[in-house]
Amino acid sequence: MALLINCPVCGKRNGYEFRYGGEDKGPRPDDESLSQASWCDYVHNNNCVAGIQKEWWFHKDGCGAWFTIYRDTRTNLEADTSADTSIPEVK
Amino acid sequence: MFWRSKRLWREPGSLKSSYDAVIIGGGLHGLATAYFLARHHGMTDIAVIEKNYIGFGGAGRNTAIVRANQRTQENLPLYKEALELWPVLTRELDFNLMFYNCGNLNLAHSDAAIKAMRLQVASAQYSGIDIKLVDPRECKELIPALDISDRPRYPVFGGMFHPPGGIVRHDAVVWGLARGASKCGVDIHQNTEVTGIAVSGGRVVGVDTGRGRIHTSRVLNSAGGYSAAISSGMLGIRLPISVLTIQAMVTQPLKPFLDHVVSSGMYHCYANQTLKGEVATGAHMDPWPNYTTQCTGHYIKHQAEALSELLPCLRGVKFMRHWAGLADMTPDMAPIMDGNDHIRGYYMNCGWGYFGFKSSTVAGKYMARFISTGECPDILKPFALNRFEQHRLMGETAALVSYSADN
Repeated sequence: MALLINCPVCGKRNGYEFRYGGEDKGPRPDDESLSQASWCDYVHNNNCVAGIQKEWWFHKDGCGAWFTIYRDTRTNLEADTSADTSIPEVK
Repeated sequence: MFWRSKRLWREPGSLKSSYDAVIIGGGLHGLATAYFLARHHGMTDIAVIEKNYIGFGGAGRNTAIVRANQRTQENLPLYKEALELWPVLTRELDFNLMFYNCGNLNLAHSDAAIKAMRLQVASAQYSGIDIKLVDPRECKELIPALDISDRPRYPVFGGMFHPPGGIVRHDAVVWGLARGASKCGVDIHQNTEVTGIAVSGGRVVGVDTGRGRIHTSRVLNSAGGYSAAISSGMLGIRLPISVLTIQAMVTQPLKPFLDHVVSSGMYHCYANQTLKGEVATGAHMDPWPNYTTQCTGHYIKHQAEALSELLPCLRGVKFMRHWAGLADMTPDMAPIMDGNDHIRGYYMNCGWGYFGFKSSTVAGKYMARFISTGECPDILKPFALNRFEQHRLMGETAALVSYSADN
């Protein structure tokens, strides 16, 4: 089973057209209160969820859009979470 | 009778309510740590808890290659000792680990790669590791089936040959360590999943499993591909790790033709002929994190192309089996070995990426010393988690690329 990703511009396309852009970590930390730990957390650290995670993708061999999707890392299937509030927003 | 009527290791039966230490993960790192704790540090009241069966994960899925030609001064002594441990452990465990030191040949396909190898060779030689640069003619002498002509897309410019490396029967290491640990009194609980780590007052007090609570003051997270999920999910300690599926496959058995492990960074391919005659080959990782361990046609094609370019005699040979495992990659391709940092009694040995097999015994040896004394051995100090905060990442990556999924 190939990874299929739903690009907001081009629709469902082969996953190899895309580049993974990392877990969604929310906005960049504020410069004012930046510490070594918070910067490291933002740059390097991941939740590594074995389940549904919110993540960034880049349509490199397509329209060039950056967007987020929810994907189940155990199945590589995109998850429809529009109605589900149980999945926490990543901090 | 053609089969063993008795298991190599003891089935411990019920789960005790307390242990001196609990090791999460019945892979090579967990079993090696348990073995060294029991055999060399006198800590025998230990439980190894494994979600599936021992050797289910990376321990049984790697391509069995061992070598010590790493790149950085922190990593080189560790891998050197790991390589030297195989014959020692074979004797100590009284178990044939089938260490075959046939040597590793890494190929270079550009002047830039030769330059990078020159540095790598010098670094390894500085640590007393046997390794040298070889030209294409010498590569051909080592592996007569290698195509060193101008025909391949990336012709061979030379390589580095590392004679003490080779292959080890990975399942034998699992069985040998399990038997050795079990003999010393370690309880190996299979089909036992960790569901939580109990912390009170900044100290580990217990481990929750699918079969009940274990009271303990020391826990080691050596769950391989799942260690980062356990750390962030159960303790809120997020790690600089991306978990990627990595695939490998074997061809049908052939007469012996490949006497060394051969690898090429350019073709993203490494191969060795097993003692059964099959050519075992591994590829690169999926370019996005996942826990599927799914095999894809993409890599069958990739491996077939790479192997038939490097070793043209393999054209037409069929792949027989194909499997995948998990690699927990850190941004600097070096592991995280740490303990007592955020939580007293919580130790971790993870982030090995695809170097987990060759390093397992030495990591177990030093993690056992760490856990039994509470003092981090000097050789492990550079691998502390706080190196990422302090911008002291190691240069173990093959080139100026990131092997994390963010690349």
